[in-house]
Amino acid sequence: MKKSLIYLDAENIRNSIDLLEVAELVHGKGEVETYALCIHQCPKEAYGKFDVIINVQDDSIQTYDVLNITNCLEEMHRNYTFDSILIPATHIGRMLAPRLSMRLHVGLVADVTAIDHHDGELEMIRPAYSGKIMAGIVNRGRVPIMMSVRQNIFSYTSHQVKNTLSINVYPTSIQASNISLLEMKVKEKTKDIRESTVLISGGGGVMDQFHRLDELALELNAQVSASRRIVDSGIATRKIQVGQSGHTVSPKLYIALGIYGSLQHIEGLKNVENIISVNIDKDAPICSLSDIVVEGDAVEFIEKLVEKIRREKV
Amino acid sequence: MNLICLVKFVPDVEDFKYDVTRNVLIRENVKMILNPDDACALAFCLKVKEKDPETFVEIVSMAPTSVVGHLEDLLRRNFDQATLISDRMYVGSDTYVTSRILARYLEGKTFDCILTGTHSLDGDTSHVPSQVGEALRLHQISNIVKIEETQFKTGWPVVDVDSERFISSYRVGLPAILSVSKDSKYKLPFVKFKNLDLDVSAKIKIITNRELGFRADEVGLEGSLTQVAHTFTRNLQKEDRVFVKTDEEGIDTVYDFLHAKGFI
Repeated sequence: MKKSLIYLDAENIRNSIDLLEVAELVHGKGEVETYALCIHQCPKEAYGKFDVIINVQDDSIQTYDVLNITNCLEEMHRNYTFDSILIPATHIGRMLAPRLSMRLHVGLVADVTAIDHHDGELEMIRPAYSGKIMAGIVNRGRVPIMMSVRQNIFSYTSHQVKNTLSINVYPTSIQASNISLLEMKVKEKTKDIRESTVLISGGGGVMDQFHRLDELALELNAQVSASRRIVDSGIATRKIQVGQSGHTVSPKLYIALGIYGSLQHIEGLKNVENIISVNIDKDAPICSLSDIVVEGDAVEFIEKLVEKIRREKV
Repeated sequence: MNLICLVKFVPDVEDFKYDVTRNVLIRENVKMILNPDDACALAFCLKVKEKDPETFVEIVSMAPTSVVGHLEDLLRRNFDQATLISDRMYVGSDTYVTSRILARYLEGKTFDCILTGTHSLDGDTSHVPSQVGEALRLHQISNIVKIEETQFKTGWPVVDVDSERFISSYRVGLPAILSVSKDSKYKLPFVKFKNLDLDVSAKIKIITNRELGFRADEVGLEGSLTQVAHTFTRNLQKEDRVFVKTDEEGIDTVYDFLHAKGFI
């Protein structure tokens, strides 16, 4: 039986638990004993899902103190000898995973989005070059296998309820820290495009008239999102950016207006049910993913469709 | 203060062309640019130097010698030294090996703070700053959007970090590795006109494996712990696509589709 350790990050608990799916994909279902490590209190949702929960009991460890969390994980690895260590690619996770891999002298694959096996060898798939290509990466022999896993890609759906063993540990490797959190401010709230059912999204083709997207969004009770080109030009904030360097979204309907559809953009579309693309170039990559391809000017499309919707309402 | 800024030159990924018929990405003849996050880190160093001219800023980059021109271009903006770590043996090194190489050079240096970018456009693993931090056993903080300058000099800077939902302020003791995001407001100034042809060649130092002394099996492809097995672009084409124009028929088709699916 293989042993897999998953770091539960308070920043995204649900998705940390979802990494159980990755553990099964890596080692095979039923062939892996799953461990969760959490700092301070373990969330209720994790009980019944993991075989073992390791609760680190030391009030002096802060959840942002990556050095001390690394110390804890290293200590646990020395105790249990894990075959894999999986870390969610959250803000903290993306600092923690490289530090731990350096500490353990093992390879690390970042931001994994899929797991594959080739001739019995594990291949971790991740986007590279801003998502323009995908790379299959192999680990050269050393254990544990380590990866950080892109958020909100995997989901663990098993209904099996396990008899979770909960262990309190008191680490001995904690050191005095010279980092402290002074203040945390919630960023001003715009509605989250990741929670949207319908997204009206604009790219380079609507650069000058991006605000016109609001008209269609209003009629379809949708939110507006943007491609990287729009965000890089300063027209919209990164909060509404779809793509590898922005958000991964899963709306039921995605209307792509003047979006070329570079792979880095397409990387941000996950399980989108319906795509309509409007583009003067009907061979733009986004069009190949679309249910309906409208060849033409996106602003003209907005005007005419809004008019049609309003007319039909009466 | 002694500041070291780690930078990387990357292919301009926006320049990549996509060969639709062969389903491959054309990576040849793409120009190299300074990684955008790293440019912000450099710009912060210049701000510190502006207020406190005693500050010494060393740029460190691991790259082929073909980037010398880029480094000279940076040096003309008032940086004090550029160190290029370059050796044929290092070609193909993964992030683990790269970090070990950088760390071995940095171990011998005295510095108050190391500045880096957070993400790089090409690999985008964000591993190197954290791994160098681990090798030197220093705190490392990513996604920094602001560094308070007055406290910076005291050795206990306050930094603002953008972690998607929050902006968090941390106080951290130097030396540390501070990794800046391009969402920060730091902008690298242009080269002054009078400095355009300034001879800065004396400020460039090249470090090879002769100085760093790795065994051949510790670096390059051989020393790497991860390896790219293959790369691919995905074929995501939808079948049964409908092609229309923005005329009445086209708009009706879209409307009927939205209606049938319950969006209207």
